[in-house]
Amino acid sequence: MVAMHIIDALQRGAILIVADPRKTMLAGLAHIHLQHRCGTDVVLLNSIMNVIINEGLVNIDFVKMRTERFDEFEKVIREYTPQMAEAITGVPEEEIRRAARIYASENRTMLFYGMGITQHTTGVDNVHACANLVMLTAHVGHTATGLNPLRGHNNVQGACDMGALPDFLTGYQPVSDPDIRQRFERVWAVRLNPVPGLTLTEMISASLTKRIRAMYIMGENPVLSDPHTDHTIRSLKALDFLVVQDIFMTETTQLADVVLPGVSFAEKDGTFTNTERRVQKIRRAAIEPVGEALPDWQIISELSTRMGYSMNYRGTYEIMEEIALLTPIYRGIRHHRLEHNFGIQWPCPDTSHPGTAYLHRKRFSKGMGTFIPTPYIPPAEVPDSEFPFVLTTGRNYFQFHIGTMSRKTITLEREDPECFVEVNPEDARSLGIRNREKIRVITRRGSIDVIAKVTDRIIPGTIYIPFHFHEAPANRLTNPALDEIARIPEFKVCAARIERL
Amino acid sequence: MIERFILDKNDLSYWLRQIRKNASLIAPVKSLVGDVVFESLEQIHEISLDHPLPPPSVKEFLFPQIETMFEYNGDEIKEIIDEEMRVVVGLRSCDASAIKIIDRFFAGETGSDYDMVHPNRKYKDPYYFSRRQNTVFISMGCNVPGAVCFCYNLGAGPFLDSGFDIQLIDLEDRYLVEADSEKGKGLVRRYDYLFRKVETGDLEDRFEALLSSISKFEKRIDLRETGQKIKNSMPDSFWQWVAERCFECGGCVYVCSLCTCFNIVDYNFSNQSGKRCRIWDTCLFKGFTEMAGRVIPQEKKEQRLKRWWFHKILYYPEQFKTFGCVGCGRCTITCPGHIDIATLSEKIMGWR
Repeated sequence: MVAMHIIDALQRGAILIVADPRKTMLAGLAHIHLQHRCGTDVVLLNSIMNVIINEGLVNIDFVKMRTERFDEFEKVIREYTPQMAEAITGVPEEEIRRAARIYASENRTMLFYGMGITQHTTGVDNVHACANLVMLTAHVGHTATGLNPLRGHNNVQGACDMGALPDFLTGYQPVSDPDIRQRFERVWAVRLNPVPGLTLTEMISASLTKRIRAMYIMGENPVLSDPHTDHTIRSLKALDFLVVQDIFMTETTQLADVVLPGVSFAEKDGTFTNTERRVQKIRRAAIEPVGEALPDWQIISELSTRMGYSMNYRGTYEIMEEIALLTPIYRGIRHHRLEHNFGIQWPCPDTSHPGTAYLHRKRFSKGMGTFIPTPYIPPAEVPDSEFPFVLTTGRNYFQFHIGTMSRKTITLEREDPECFVEVNPEDARSLGIRNREKIRVITRRGSIDVIAKVTDRIIPGTIYIPFHFHEAPANRLTNPALDEIARIPEFKVCAARIERL
Repeated sequence: MIERFILDKNDLSYWLRQIRKNASLIAPVKSLVGDVVFESLEQIHEISLDHPLPPPSVKEFLFPQIETMFEYNGDEIKEIIDEEMRVVVGLRSCDASAIKIIDRFFAGETGSDYDMVHPNRKYKDPYYFSRRQNTVFISMGCNVPGAVCFCYNLGAGPFLDSGFDIQLIDLEDRYLVEADSEKGKGLVRRYDYLFRKVETGDLEDRFEALLSSISKFEKRIDLRETGQKIKNSMPDSFWQWVAERCFECGGCVYVCSLCTCFNIVDYNFSNQSGKRCRIWDTCLFKGFTEMAGRVIPQEKKEQRLKRWWFHKILYYPEQFKTFGCVGCGRCTITCPGHIDIATLSEKIMGWR
């Protein structure tokens, strides 16, 4: 409920600026709503920084003491005048100026971003631009400041911390570093592969070339959640062997050779780590595992033991001890330390350390903060005469992700039973589409039939589809083009056409 | 006729232990992170009577969030009636007042002209009343009202004059035990060796405690005036303003000790067997009044919010001669958009 705290702050007099192509609930309460076109985030942020530099609102001391390569960055920023940004983003010049002045001149400003920043082919650039903005104004390193990414699931941070990444071991220790590898090899008594693995999106494609032949998917439904559904299904079918572990049968389990029953949050114990790096203990399993289901750690231990590497943990606390042994940022975290508080924020270097509330207080983790210039690169697919609309996808208020859990709830199913596409009234009029009419949305990858929702929440020329519904999977349409560094697919922008049926 | 006794504070745990021999005992318990919730009391000393109101109301012990009404298998139908004996300790005056009102709702007796107009509506809900008959509520008078409380303005607290099972009033070293219903009196009489008679000094202390409690209320909410104003002069732009802040989470309704909307759903195990359940529902959801063809009479959020407000503040007094609010302040704690009864009521009085 981060939004709840944002509203609390509003109530106490905070100023809220929202940049979103859609008029979300929070945007409705915002003092300034920058409704830019999808995929133009970099231009918007650059032009805000342009105003900050031109109007002398830069925190010069901070830039001098704590950052580097400002001059190169400044040269690029000079090009992004608000006039130019207005032409590309569609946000009025004056709004950009106002937002920039407010953001820079307040003593404390927090910057939050969600999936709308990262799920682009320029996702890394977008994040760099956000970081540049924070450094330029020195809104970092103390209370109520900083760059705050909001994750899509409750334990994404925890999964990344535990090395569920192709190129890192736990706690962001690179697999390519021989010293770190050696430490893990001594504790685990195995040889580790020094070559980074593949990212999720690469893995899906790699099965078609037989580079990957078996896959073990835990608690995810890539058939619905990955871009270009048909391609995903083809790839998963090409595998020799597929294991899926989930709490309900999904579109992905239907393709599996073996389905392992996992447990829900209520049947687990262990920890979740949230977006502010707070490691929190789940108190105790509220209910016993249903049926043949087992907690994930027991399934993995059992599998590993049967595959020849014996894992005998007596409980999750033993696993936490092993994490602390091998992970410097989790060094002082133990289950018993999490019992009587709201958790501990890593880095926590020893068992008497209270945790670290703010990162980058005196220095950035790499020393000086580097300004990385972020010139504008358009999305991988832009509208043309054949596909004149920009299609963006996202979440609905009532559903969670691809609905594996939330679509099973009777009240939610009644409130939000069907997929829809948001169309601006202007576009609807020119195409002759009425509210609640069934229309077809077509992209280069496929088409789905959905109910039209004519609403001014969305800007003209852009359409929006939530991706929760297996009956009309939005990801049949989305573009699997990837960000070159982060390998995240561009869920947020592709070119589309709509047709009346 | 209310019977009054004095219970030494040291003997409370003994009394509760005796009660627990014949019934399951439910009380506010403070969890490790500091949330106070009503749950089955396993260790008597864990009872937490000095803390503010637990956010979930006690209605769930009479009207659970989800309950099975019957199960069927072929032609065989088995009705499920909950007959467990329960004693709920530590609810507050507002909760006890709310139970008085929902009793009338589930009995189909509003106590107003509506009963005459609709004589065949007198349907006594068996699921609710089997629980109600087997539950004794021991409520607490509030010596220190919370920051969100406004029960005094609604006659639902801080102490109650009648209509409760048992009411405990904290007189520092002892409790004044007041028993009103027969069930309540039974629970005192059975253990009469624990109690002593009331003396004049005790009643004087009660009066002092009441005065001091009333003086401590921070909120002054007059729902009569709010009602007049929303009936006559609140523009649509106001409801629009409210709707912008409503997340449609239903939190206010789920925590409200008076909201009783429910939905009936069937779960099929097979072609032959299944069960019918009722679950909490809220009129703030769009689908609540959905009709065939997905027609929704009051589709706009501002209409639904207005309906909830009108029901609580205008229709309840017409039907039940009391507001649909007991001033417990739970919605104030819960609402993420700050459009709960108290906050909005203040807003309405200041709106021009």
